[in-house]
Amino acid sequence: MDKTKKVKLSREEKRKLLRKNIHRDKYLMIMFFPVLLYYLIFSYLPMTGLVMAFQNFIPGKGLIGIYSGEWVGLKWFSQFFQSVFAWKLIRNTFLLSFYSLLFGFPIPILFAICITQLRNKVIQRGAQVITYLPYFISTVVVVGMMTNFLSPSTGIINQIIVKLGGKPVNFMSDPSWFRRLYVISGSWQTFGFNSIIFVAAIMGISPDLYEAMKMDGASKRQQIWHLVLPMIKPTILLLLIMSLGNILSVGFEKVYLMYNTAVYETGDVISTYVYRQGIENKNYSYATAVGLFNSIVGFSLVCTSNWFSRKFSGSSLW
Amino acid sequence: MRMTKKVTALAMTAVLTASALVGCGGNDTPNGQTTTNAGTTSGTKTSTYTGAAPVTEEAGTVSMLAMNSWYSTVDLSKDAMILDEIQKRANVTIDWNLIDPTIYADTVSPMLAAGTDLQDIVLLPDLDSNMSYIKSGMFIALDEYFDSMPNYKKFLEANPDIKAALTATDGHIYYVPQTVVTNNYQPCMMINTRWLEKLNMEEPKTLDEFVEMLRAFRDNDMNGNGDATDEIPMSVTSAYLPYLFGPAFGLDLVSGFYADDNGTVHYAYYEAENYKAYLEFLKGLYDEGLLEMEYTSLNRDQITSRCAQDITGVTFDFSWQMSTLYSAQFADYNGTEGIFKGVAPISGEYTGYYVGRTPVSGIFGVTKNSGNVELAVKFLDYIMGEECQDLYVWGLKDVTYTETADGNREYLPRCSEDTVWYQQLGINAPCMPSQQSVPATDVLLAKWHVEVDKELEQYIKAPFPAVYATEEEASIISLYLVDIQTYVEQMNVAFISGNSDMSTFDSYLTTLKNMNIEELIKIKQDQYNRYMEAYK
Repeated sequence: MDKTKKVKLSREEKRKLLRKNIHRDKYLMIMFFPVLLYYLIFSYLPMTGLVMAFQNFIPGKGLIGIYSGEWVGLKWFSQFFQSVFAWKLIRNTFLLSFYSLLFGFPIPILFAICITQLRNKVIQRGAQVITYLPYFISTVVVVGMMTNFLSPSTGIINQIIVKLGGKPVNFMSDPSWFRRLYVISGSWQTFGFNSIIFVAAIMGISPDLYEAMKMDGASKRQQIWHLVLPMIKPTILLLLIMSLGNILSVGFEKVYLMYNTAVYETGDVISTYVYRQGIENKNYSYATAVGLFNSIVGFSLVCTSNWFSRKFSGSSLW
Repeated sequence: MRMTKKVTALAMTAVLTASALVGCGGNDTPNGQTTTNAGTTSGTKTSTYTGAAPVTEEAGTVSMLAMNSWYSTVDLSKDAMILDEIQKRANVTIDWNLIDPTIYADTVSPMLAAGTDLQDIVLLPDLDSNMSYIKSGMFIALDEYFDSMPNYKKFLEANPDIKAALTATDGHIYYVPQTVVTNNYQPCMMINTRWLEKLNMEEPKTLDEFVEMLRAFRDNDMNGNGDATDEIPMSVTSAYLPYLFGPAFGLDLVSGFYADDNGTVHYAYYEAENYKAYLEFLKGLYDEGLLEMEYTSLNRDQITSRCAQDITGVTFDFSWQMSTLYSAQFADYNGTEGIFKGVAPISGEYTGYYVGRTPVSGIFGVTKNSGNVELAVKFLDYIMGEECQDLYVWGLKDVTYTETADGNREYLPRCSEDTVWYQQLGINAPCMPSQQSVPATDVLLAKWHVEVDKELEQYIKAPFPAVYATEEEASIISLYLVDIQTYVEQMNVAFISGNSDMSTFDSYLTTLKNMNIEELIKIKQDQYNRYMEAYK
């Protein structure tokens, strides 16, 4: 729409237009209404409960209790930053996400490029289906499989190590293995599924462009470097920004299932700490404060990365 | 964040549904049999309740939030014969909300935090030692209703220790307890006696003898299957390691805080010398392979299966498992002679003992806002009375037991043969304020087991007493204790498995000090002094 036309509209006309639009789209709006309601009730309304982070919440007072606690200012925040765990939790959360991103993000892209270069459609489809199936296995099952395969006494991996003359490694309770296992199993589970969006983007490139490059004598490598990658750059950036926003919200379930006291050193993250403090030990206000801190950092990360992306590449979320 | 959302969402939905219901029903009673009605109108009519059934002349309903059976295939909210009998006698229908015991605390804590739409009688998710639920005022002070609670009043007079433990700092009593035996059937070390006989060894009395025995178990073909490498000398879960070795080093690692003979309170994990010696000893076992690599993830099911294959020599568990679980795994176990048998505790530099329990294991409260307080209080009193205790233990005549001519009772054989059926009746139901007793446990177990238990009774030492914290204490405890426990647990494993070097033990102590452990020890000392004072 061109701006000039918009400016010319008087208030009266605008209102008319709006009414017209509402009338035209009424069914769409009715369909949208439950979604709006869903977000209001389950995302925005509960957010008001964050006031607990600045109060001394006493359980058992019902809904009013959430909003009527005694104000304590930033007490819980300062308690968190004074605790010996604060730095470790932030580090663990950050590193776990960072490594997941570092190793987990490029693999689907590489895989998508490889798979789209395959000539044989049967192998291409087959490989795609086989690699994205693990995505549908529940996390509980994946962690269960890991525990079984990696067990020092009965696990197949350790039996191979012993057969080869090595000493069994207690993978699941060795702090130095926690991040590797988390990242590797995570990548294994999701790379096939995550590659779908890239495959779609690559498939969308016009065959004419390939044709033109071939005419000019470009090799396969040059085609990928100068055609495929630039064409899917917006997709890559978009997904990268979105995953940066999640950098401080590592999957609670998986960490919770995988960790034990032996690997707290590297495995304990903010969300599991919040769970232990809040649900298990009923320090509701404190847990809320820590969770809020986590969200604030996550939110500012999205904003920063979005800003960078807009500035340097021109594409951004908003 | 996630947590807040959940809790608030829960609260929100609860309030929304509640208001929706109110909106529909108005002030009329929708079912005719509502709780509010029964509570207010029957107040005068049922004042005749004297501790015996029926609780009310006009049929009433009481809702209860409690724990379901520990057996996952048993659902006590339906067709539990004993519980049905109680309801019939009391003329009260229970509207159950029973929750799986393994997730009980995680499920019920948020419900209590929301505080709305609670059941009339609630089994609390913990012992409320910080008085957070008492402070919130969601449960009534039961001592104000003692006129309607003759059974409970009598019980408290007969058990001053429990009365002392349940009296809050404001002098009121808010809860009805579930109690357990404290000096019998406690966790103890169990040894595969066949293996010991085979080696011609005595039961180990000291740490050195114990280690020697473990080595012998490891190096010999104890089960005689021709393979000398499949024996796992010791199968003790990480939860029971402190029970097994702590006392030999003069530490009550089970309670954490403990008082020495002079009445001075210590924190076992902050003892510079003894705790270090304990860790070094366990690290030695770990390095030598006597303490298995996977000990942190070991569980009862695994130990049970090891017993079935006869590949393990020592375990540590609640006494109950001795005959009913571990010995029972052996195909040739006939019930007359134990295979896994409880033995005396091992001593080191200090004389060994077994850590017992505090008597109160669970507490029931009556919700203030239930609108059904009067009936709920009377019903709670009835189900904790002697008449019901008898039902919890013995079940029903000619269903679970028969009475001989001279009045003695005997369990029918089906009780031990068909566990699921027996549990489904509601025997010792965890959703009821039951009181464990030694004689009732004795009759359930094999004779040799009862003898072992009486022999071990002398070694049981009471744990650190449970005392209500004052408001100030509670705020400091909740501020520091969780983090300290996490840190201690984590370092315990790290030192034993060698992930942290023993040379960093001093910095471990410094960190604990920085985490304000000394302030907590002082609080525990005050609490201990208060407790001793209450006993004089």
